[in-house]
Amino acid sequence: MVMEGKDGTIESSSASAPTKKKSKKPKYSRFTQQELPACKPILTPGWVITAFILVGIVFIPIGLVSLFASEQVVEVVDRYDEDCVPSTFSNKTEYIINSKTNKTCIRILTVPKKMISPIYIYYQLDNFYQNHRRYVKSRSDKQLRSKQYEKEIKDCQPEDETEHKFTIIPCGLIAWSLFNDTYGFSLKNETLRVNKKGIAWKSDQEEKFGSDVYPKNFQMDGWIGGKKLNESIPLSKQYDLIVWMRTAALPTFRKLYGKIEVDLEANQNITVEIQNNYNTYQFGGKKKLVLSTTSWIGGKNDFLGIAYLTVGGLCLFLAISFIILYVVKPRPLGDPSFLSWNRNPVGHLN
Amino acid sequence: GFTVFLYEANASFSGQPAYNDWFLSLYNVFFTSLPVIAMGVFDQDVSARFCLKFPLLYQEGVQNVLFRWRRIFGWMFNGVCQAIIIFFFCTKAVEPQAFNNDGKVAGLDIFGATMYTCVVWAVNCQMALAISYFTLIQHLFIWGGIALWYLFLLAYGAMPPSISTTAYKVFVESLAPSPSFWLVTLFVVISALVPYFSYSAIRMRFFPMYHNMIQWIRHEGHCDDPEYCNMVRQRSIRSTTVGFTARSMARNNCLEDGIYDHR
Repeated sequence: MVMEGKDGTIESSSASAPTKKKSKKPKYSRFTQQELPACKPILTPGWVITAFILVGIVFIPIGLVSLFASEQVVEVVDRYDEDCVPSTFSNKTEYIINSKTNKTCIRILTVPKKMISPIYIYYQLDNFYQNHRRYVKSRSDKQLRSKQYEKEIKDCQPEDETEHKFTIIPCGLIAWSLFNDTYGFSLKNETLRVNKKGIAWKSDQEEKFGSDVYPKNFQMDGWIGGKKLNESIPLSKQYDLIVWMRTAALPTFRKLYGKIEVDLEANQNITVEIQNNYNTYQFGGKKKLVLSTTSWIGGKNDFLGIAYLTVGGLCLFLAISFIILYVVKPRPLGDPSFLSWNRNPVGHLN
Repeated sequence: GFTVFLYEANASFSGQPAYNDWFLSLYNVFFTSLPVIAMGVFDQDVSARFCLKFPLLYQEGVQNVLFRWRRIFGWMFNGVCQAIIIFFFCTKAVEPQAFNNDGKVAGLDIFGATMYTCVVWAVNCQMALAISYFTLIQHLFIWGGIALWYLFLLAYGAMPPSISTTAYKVFVESLAPSPSFWLVTLFVVISALVPYFSYSAIRMRFFPMYHNMIQWIRHEGHCDDPEYCNMVRQRSIRSTTVGFTARSMARNNCLEDGIYDHR
């Protein structure tokens, strides 16, 4: 049989020399042809409304629970830096720098509601940028961890060596500016014991601050920035230092000072004897003393509860508006008369 | 990234980053790059079969519908809004009071890790919302990316403090046991996505683009009805059959006419 056209030529060529034509077509696989099994979700009205209702239903109870927990927390905040400077001193900075002035200050705090132990004592500093880059860098973790690295002080300048070239331990600005106000609490003339154990994170105590490192040459000369340390206690037990060295994230922060382990009844008056040593006057900072209980969620913060309620309410509102929209303006989905160029006589896509 | 900038405003612009150095370095490498690559490679807004049925989809490319500056700025604006939401909610929720019921306060390391977790979740879930063709690989990359972040936190935190500096045991000791962390993460992520989700829902329903229309048609089951598809096609080009637009489109769309002839 005579074949026409291409077929004919192929016939004759195959008759003369059986050559196998190697196909360059790649091997078929679902991966390369992009035909993998997939789900193709689209945002139908049902899904949208369901999603919003779900979020609303989950968020509102969480918000209520958080708000309830936060309301349970009792907090007493007392700003004392303005009032603790005697009125005879008009220049507060000079008063605080002068080591001869009497820094004792007595404050009375009233307990608003019953506070169940443990009651946490914090000092709050405002406008203190512990998160400034050069401040955060100014420490030597190696030196803090172990005695053999006590000479590793290169990041600590200028608080790395004394005038006479003795190494400062712990070096750096963070340690140098250690907060040094002290608080003594008494109730009806009985001293309340302040427990300092357990105020620092365990990982700090055990791993980051060595038990063989002792303070040396600390706050010796030049400017004194803060507290002096007892040279016979190793760093792993210097709890105030450990708490202070965990730099805070924002310029207003609190740090744990200690715990009171007795209950306090409502309307009791706690007498606080403050040694007002720390100089925040030079840079316009504020100092506050805070007594607070905690709940499972932490300290007193209404924000999380209120925010949950707000977003939950917003989602329910959006769900209801979508329902109304879909009910009031129903249209069959996929109706091409709603294509944008059909609505617009000029006929451009979008 | 914008969260880092917002944090600088609170650190007196001294250059102190909110996150540990290694978090910053690995952000684009591990935690967010794979879903983006998966989306680029595997996502199909309309499958190949329908592309052949509705050739007018080419016009979306010709008329530069998907890469207009307005659209690009829209996405950037969405990113900025989400960063603002994440940053302010994290800040308000975490400072200054105690973080857990042990009375301890959240420092820079805890705050940074919390905010970073929210960012990773928000970015990956945003990707999940934007993708319309979910293969197994997409799922793996998106949810795997999030899981990778938690694993990384655990592994990095377990390294001795000389390497992991501020992230030492931050997850195990401070974050995981405190319910505040989980609640903040859940809240911030969902709040950051609500704006985009609403916008997407409204757009899909009331102002669909051409490929969204095709998706609706497929969803409704009209795609197997040849008459319906023909009607869609005819109405699509109806308004461009006369005038300059029609001539220019005819010049560009000669392929489309060719397909019609074969049918």
